[in-house]
Amino acid sequence: MTPNGAIVFGLLVITGATIARDLPGLAVVLAVAVVFALGSGKRVVAALGWSAAIVLPLAAFMTLVWVGIVGRAPAEIAAGIEGSRANAAAYVAVIALRLFVIAFVIQAIFLRFRGSTPFQFVRQVSAPAVAKKLIVLTLSLIETILHAVDRARIALIAAGLITRRPSWSNLRNGWLLVQTVWLTVVTIAIGRARDKWPIENTLSLIDGALTDAAPRRLTVIDGAWSLLSLAGAGIAWSMR
Amino acid sequence: MARELLTGPNFSGRSTGLTARLRAATPASAFFVGPYAEAALSGLSSTVADEIEIYRARPQPVRPAFSAIDFTAYAARKPPTLSGGEQVLLALHCFSMSHYRAIGIDTALEQLDPANRDDALAYLSQADTRGFDVTLIDNRLEQQDGWTQTAMTGSADFACDPVAATAGLAPCAAPVIAIERLSFGYPKGRTIFQAVDLALEPGRAHRLAGANGAGKTTLFKLLAGVLAPSDGTMRLDGAPYAPWRSGNRVFALATQNPDHQWCGATLEEDVARRRAALARHGIVAPTPDTIARLAELLGAPSLDAHLYELPLAARKRLSWLWPLSGTLPWIMLDEPTVGQDRATRDALASAVTRLCALGYGVMFITHDEEFARLVDHRPLRLEHGSIAA
Amino acid sequence: MFTTSRLVAIALCAALNFSIGNIVYLVKLPVYLDSVGTILCALLLFPDLVAAIVCAFAAGLIGVILTGLVLNPFLPWFTLTVLAIALVSALLTARANGTFRARPLPTGAFVAKVVTFGIVTGIVSAVTAAPVVAYLFGGVTGSGSALVVAYFVKSGNLLWDATLRSGLIIEPLDKTLQVLLAALLYHATPQEFITMLRPSVQPSAT
Repeated sequence: MTPNGAIVFGLLVITGATIARDLPGLAVVLAVAVVFALGSGKRVVAALGWSAAIVLPLAAFMTLVWVGIVGRAPAEIAAGIEGSRANAAAYVAVIALRLFVIAFVIQAIFLRFRGSTPFQFVRQVSAPAVAKKLIVLTLSLIETILHAVDRARIALIAAGLITRRPSWSNLRNGWLLVQTVWLTVVTIAIGRARDKWPIENTLSLIDGALTDAAPRRLTVIDGAWSLLSLAGAGIAWSMR
Repeated sequence: MARELLTGPNFSGRSTGLTARLRAATPASAFFVGPYAEAALSGLSSTVADEIEIYRARPQPVRPAFSAIDFTAYAARKPPTLSGGEQVLLALHCFSMSHYRAIGIDTALEQLDPANRDDALAYLSQADTRGFDVTLIDNRLEQQDGWTQTAMTGSADFACDPVAATAGLAPCAAPVIAIERLSFGYPKGRTIFQAVDLALEPGRAHRLAGANGAGKTTLFKLLAGVLAPSDGTMRLDGAPYAPWRSGNRVFALATQNPDHQWCGATLEEDVARRRAALARHGIVAPTPDTIARLAELLGAPSLDAHLYELPLAARKRLSWLWPLSGTLPWIMLDEPTVGQDRATRDALASAVTRLCALGYGVMFITHDEEFARLVDHRPLRLEHGSIAA
Repeated sequence: MFTTSRLVAIALCAALNFSIGNIVYLVKLPVYLDSVGTILCALLLFPDLVAAIVCAFAAGLIGVILTGLVLNPFLPWFTLTVLAIALVSALLTARANGTFRARPLPTGAFVAKVVTFGIVTGIVSAVTAAPVVAYLFGGVTGSGSALVVAYFVKSGNLLWDATLRSGLIIEPLDKTLQVLLAALLYHATPQEFITMLRPSVQPSAT
């Protein structure tokens, strides 16, 4: 499967999840995503678990609000009828399952391409050169920032300005960690933009590296998965 | 000229001269390795494999590769997580795989350990047979056979006198730090320390050495209270000490990249915030005037100068401010002499020796063997979960 | 438009948007500051309004896409909110750049402008986010908003209405904090970097 095909697949599944209005429709879309993910073996379980971990807290708050406090579904409020907690629970279930499908399909796509580096993935995506350069540059800077966060945090804790645990010092001085990291990374970026990149013409160099030699056409496999996800979305639509 | 060494003290125009030479070369045919770890990298990759791929000459490399490390084992690593020396070696490897016909290196080789440094210099010394030009700035080299030496003679007003900065310090009764059965391992990771016993005596310097990943930074983090050990205790002169709960009251730290440690955009902001933090811990800091005088001796043009607009070498010197101020009884220096000329390095060594003589405790990490030789020290070797004195 | 320096600014601000969540987690603060980079990008590119809008939006969009892929898969849904924040930041907040850069910092004027623009940004953010929050999240995205939405719905408000009201209470507070942080970072940024972002300084990178 190509990255372009994966992106199309993912967007179609997310669209299907968005337009599905009830549990059966969402179940169809989820099934498509699960079938796609099954090719990744045991990691599917981890992907399911990660998606559940993201959605469960939101589901818990929604249950508290709609089932626990309000006691009826939004449609019943709009219609001005008494409603029931059962309908409120069904509403929460639809929202939670939709969120779960969205989270899971993204994880499934990650699993499919776990052997590729970010550069290799971006190289094969059909997108303007500027967009690709921005993505790889941002990914690189994220790593630089996270490294700087680790180092700056050591120094600021050693200086007594922030602490390991929650504290009033952190409330007062936590922004200093952001500032130190920002200034460190800006300084690195200035050095690169002023010296290394003009001397080496590095940005033009990666134009060549980011261009995929092979044509960026969708493959038959891409088409098959796209059709499957389209079918799932279509079924979800028809069940509204 | 194939091989050129630019010499001179800090701020004599070496860096400017180097970049000018590279820009004057055939456009976009020169590779540049800047003066700090992150400046060695392209800034366009998020893995080591991608970094090499960006520079790889197509259809094939034009010269033998320089591979001091087997980078296939590092392929998925994120470049900023490599040590400074590893990043420099990665940069040299990328250059050797590239199409570039010239390379300029601004003090980056100083971050290499002796064996890798010799390998790098040997590779660069074969520039004419390998078909490239090299321009080098290196504070540890006075001259190299077969290299053209160009002395730079500019000057800028960042004069630095670390010895004078310690001149007014009173003797200090720094505490003995006793580490007993210290154990630490990262979650889901390897064990770094396994029931380590260590006594750090004040009045002397201790040099931490060990392979990457052996735990030098982890030890710093434990002593500074950033990490809590899974087992074991620390004592100061026999009294229990847990900086991960109480905060750090003992160590003044100078980080490898000086930019990681500033607590403000200007020195004035940094000093004010640190003094306030020390006061909250009941530690008496020198007066603002004393700190200002100290900063001046370390080359600060003024306290309200924007720190990040100063040259890197000047920022590095200012990172020694709190360690040399005598505020805290122990100091930690992480690669303090990278990018510093010989005179400054020697002066720092004298200042550190003086601190030890006054009773302060010192810990340092360095690849600068000359600096280590100048400072009488006790070597501490970290390996296999233990610390060997 | 996309000079080398501006690409760097967009990427830096996008990376900041992505990474700040990591920082606030490490210092254990009960906030999530996901648009600081977007606001800062607009400040950095001012007074070139078109560049400020485009680059701030690009920074915000890349930030939400990457965050969406790795941390929070629902963030990309708020793309319209990202655009709205970029517009407000470039057209309004960035006009305070003189105050934000002044040394010494004029505290009164600084605070007044941060609060004013923070509230406006928060209102715009709440209005553009409400439909997404109502449909995608059933009106609820976190602990604070949950209780506020519950109150309004219980009081007889429709879902969209309750979500909007909840957002109008919480978003101005959150966005004021983000404008504050962006302004402080802008205040500290070296002048060399800001100068590099002017179109006359660098040749185009593309």
